[in-house]
Amino acid sequence: MELSTSQLAGIPVIRIRGEIDHGNASTLSTAIDDVLDADQHVVLLDVTQVDYMDSGGISVLLSALRRLRERGWLGIINPNTNVRRLIQIVGLALDSSFRVFDDDAAAEQALRETART
Amino acid sequence: MTPGRAAFSRSIVVQPDASQLREIRRFVEAVAADATLDAERTFDLKVAVSEACANAVEHSGSSCSPLSVKAACRGRRLVIEVCDRGGFRLPNTANGFQRDHRGLGLPLMVALMDEVRITKLSGGGTKVTLSVTIPTPVLC
Repeated sequence: MELSTSQLAGIPVIRIRGEIDHGNASTLSTAIDDVLDADQHVVLLDVTQVDYMDSGGISVLLSALRRLRERGWLGIINPNTNVRRLIQIVGLALDSSFRVFDDDAAAEQALRETART
Repeated sequence: MTPGRAAFSRSIVVQPDASQLREIRRFVEAVAADATLDAERTFDLKVAVSEACANAVEHSGSSCSPLSVKAACRGRRLVIEVCDRGGFRLPNTANGFQRDHRGLGLPLMVALMDEVRITKLSGGGTKVTLSVTIPTPVLC
């Protein structure tokens, strides 16, 4: 797994490449904690290039959601059909603080709407 | 008989360490390809096997007993057995998908596989058996 960071409407986006499993999930967790520690109200993960995720990755998403719930939301951008299915199976898709976007443009629009409220 | 449809049995043995999960997934991908599973079922199998192995790793403690993953294709079924020689333990269970770090593994295995069996091995250890139906029956 490789991580890089860029910005979308002033919000950091963690772009993930490769596979997220029990062996490397802590690396992603640390990257998300860095964003949360900077007092961000939104965490965005671009998973376009994530071809595999298991409960190691799901646990990281749940931890981030726990920290964000009172103040903002967690968004993932462009999950493939398998990752999307996994998210639905574990019930993450039903969480009001969790959002799935098809692309950067959709995420950016949501960020602008959040900024207005 | 085409190679992809022949009955087969294959296994790998790895150290009980989360860093080995990647190698186990490569093994599962190769087995799934031979069993003619599509991309979706291959993903499901990789996740289920990873969950079974991660559970074994988590419970192995300081034990260095190796973890074995065996795959066999028979009739309409691809069966994968994950065996560890640590003490017997039930995979972390929860009421459905508990919103916690733990307890996701077993519900995911059950949701993704056609059959999941957990067996206490004589002499200590646990066997998790995962089965999926394969699209083309193999010739035995």
